[in-house]
Amino acid sequence: MTTMKSSKFNTLTVRVALIKSVLLLVLMCVTSIVLAHGERNQEPFLRMKTLHWYDIKWSVENDSTIQVNDEVEMTGKVHFFSRWPEVINKPSTIFLGNATPGPVFVRLETYLDGVPMIQSTGVEAGHVYDFKVILKARIPGRHHVHPMINVESAGGLVGPGIWINVAGDADDFVYSIKTRTGTEIANLGSYAVPNVIKWHSIWAVVGVLWLLWWFRRPLIIHRYLLVKQGSWDQLITSNDRKIAATLIVGIIVTLIYANNITKEKYPRTVPLQGSKAHVDVPVNKYAGMVTVKNLSAEYYLPGRTVTVKAEITNNTNSAIQLGEFTAANIRFVNHSVPAAMKGVDEGYPDELVANDSLKLSDQTPIQPGETKTLDIEATDVAWETERLSSLMNDPDSSYGALLFFYNAKGERIINEIYGQILPTFID
Amino acid sequence: MKLTTNEATLLSAVTTPNSEAAKIARGLDMFVVAILFFAIIAAFHIHIMLTVGDWDFWVDWKDRMYWVTATPMLLIFIPAALSYPFMMRFGLPIAGTLCALCLVIGEWISRIVGFHLWTYFPYSMIWPAIVLPGLMLMDLVLLLSRNLFITSIFGGSAVAFAFAPANWPILAPYHEPVVHMGQLVNVADMIGYSFTRTATPEYLRFIERGTLRTFGGESTLISTGFSGFVCMILFFVWWKIGEWLTNLGTIPNVVKKHVGLGDDDDEK
Repeated sequence: MTTMKSSKFNTLTVRVALIKSVLLLVLMCVTSIVLAHGERNQEPFLRMKTLHWYDIKWSVENDSTIQVNDEVEMTGKVHFFSRWPEVINKPSTIFLGNATPGPVFVRLETYLDGVPMIQSTGVEAGHVYDFKVILKARIPGRHHVHPMINVESAGGLVGPGIWINVAGDADDFVYSIKTRTGTEIANLGSYAVPNVIKWHSIWAVVGVLWLLWWFRRPLIIHRYLLVKQGSWDQLITSNDRKIAATLIVGIIVTLIYANNITKEKYPRTVPLQGSKAHVDVPVNKYAGMVTVKNLSAEYYLPGRTVTVKAEITNNTNSAIQLGEFTAANIRFVNHSVPAAMKGVDEGYPDELVANDSLKLSDQTPIQPGETKTLDIEATDVAWETERLSSLMNDPDSSYGALLFFYNAKGERIINEIYGQILPTFID
Repeated sequence: MKLTTNEATLLSAVTTPNSEAAKIARGLDMFVVAILFFAIIAAFHIHIMLTVGDWDFWVDWKDRMYWVTATPMLLIFIPAALSYPFMMRFGLPIAGTLCALCLVIGEWISRIVGFHLWTYFPYSMIWPAIVLPGLMLMDLVLLLSRNLFITSIFGGSAVAFAFAPANWPILAPYHEPVVHMGQLVNVADMIGYSFTRTATPEYLRFIERGTLRTFGGESTLISTGFSGFVCMILFFVWWKIGEWLTNLGTIPNVVKKHVGLGDDDDEK
């Protein structure tokens, strides 16, 4: 009998274990690893018609390893699209920063067109700004690091990111500064914390003692009945009143004393600085050099291809070729234009440079003064993996991109292209 | 009010030293105090997290205007409401002190576990405000006066008047001036700028806005005065809410008639 029971028990246990394993496998199949900042989840219209990041350079290579306290510099250009979406605020209040998993890096310096960006600022759509972000590694781990600009009402708009491995010990991190009054701060992260703990502890002790003064006596039933009886002399005794009066005086005197010694110790303080930085509107050096008109655009979903028919007029004195089509941080580069290929750094994130690249209906250069109609075909699985196919869910069904033209000398001219995009769902 | 015979017997039993009744009553005290402790930590801490929020979370949000104005106003709701049952049912003028201690414990747990260990923010950036002196003064005024109006005026306003002085000794070191990238900031600004809050850009800081600083530059004093005035009213209002909730009693269950049950005697 015991053997039978044991055998049944074992069979049941095996079945339960089997079911659990199957469920776990199913769970593992339907889930994927969560990494980075969800930048692929950002609506395509935000990624295509707000900021276009290019010429991005990092001082370290993708997936390289640095130590705690090492610095990383990100530089590049950010183009604020002139056809800014109607549904969000114009970029009149923005903040340049970094998209990292919280403070795993410390932000040392940030500049927009050379202007320090401690505060927020405002920019004008249709212009290109240089940016620089300097970070210092703080917490060990594998982190995805992007430049980012927060735009009021739109949220964080992230640029291309790379992986950086931070090795070492977080306890070794140091960030020292010196105040204008001469105070040497050894580490910003722990500055004045003992003082905070001291004052919190002092007041907590006072509060606990006051509560113990009451809790040492019978509380609920006893006091409830005394209240009902109206025996307030027993509930609040003359000793209670004397101590209360003493405490009132004690608290007020402590507050005055604490503020006096604080004033002596820190005679020079300044309030929080909440103003806005000013950045001059840069001149658009490419204005009028090339005219681009969107004639039609289609997104062929099964083939993950965007095809744009555009009328391009070359207003410069030299012949030009289309070298790059970039939208939502994905770069489609024309392999037959050497200057364009040169612009793709070796360490640039692979997933953001399309493999199949850019196909044109006519590869011959556009001569000075010539107007040419080109079919531009940008095909890559990145449209799907970067979740840009959800463009079809937008209520205005339009796209935005930058076109990079190059002349024979390798000089670059950048133009926006914008228009309605039509979906093709079947072959 | 006169006690019933049973109540008088009970009072006599629980006041007899070392009696069984006294021991049971003391056990109940400890049980209720423990439950209250956790309940107030949860309720008050969540209330402050949701309402005062960023002004209390970050060192670079603790400004002279909104932090000083809003925090005492939002701080007084629960202590004032609890003051009614504590004082009028049990003669205990400790609601403010108990709430302040529970809040500080809850806040420190949240800052250590949620902000520091989980998301790596340094302690210099995330310490919570000191709220005890003002709320304790409120209790002490109530104890001495046992009067709603006097406590509203002096106790309610004390919550606001004590707030800035209680916190300046810990905030002042963070308001020392620093020059970074050629810009004047203070240490708190510097901490907020350096330790990245990815989804909280600088422009979200609701600090030092409006025209208050045109009043002779004494923003803290004016903010405190305004907050004190509002706290007087809020103490009264929330005391009354506490009174209403305490005296709700029971509501007769009218639905049970529909399933064939009659009223209990005490519902008639």
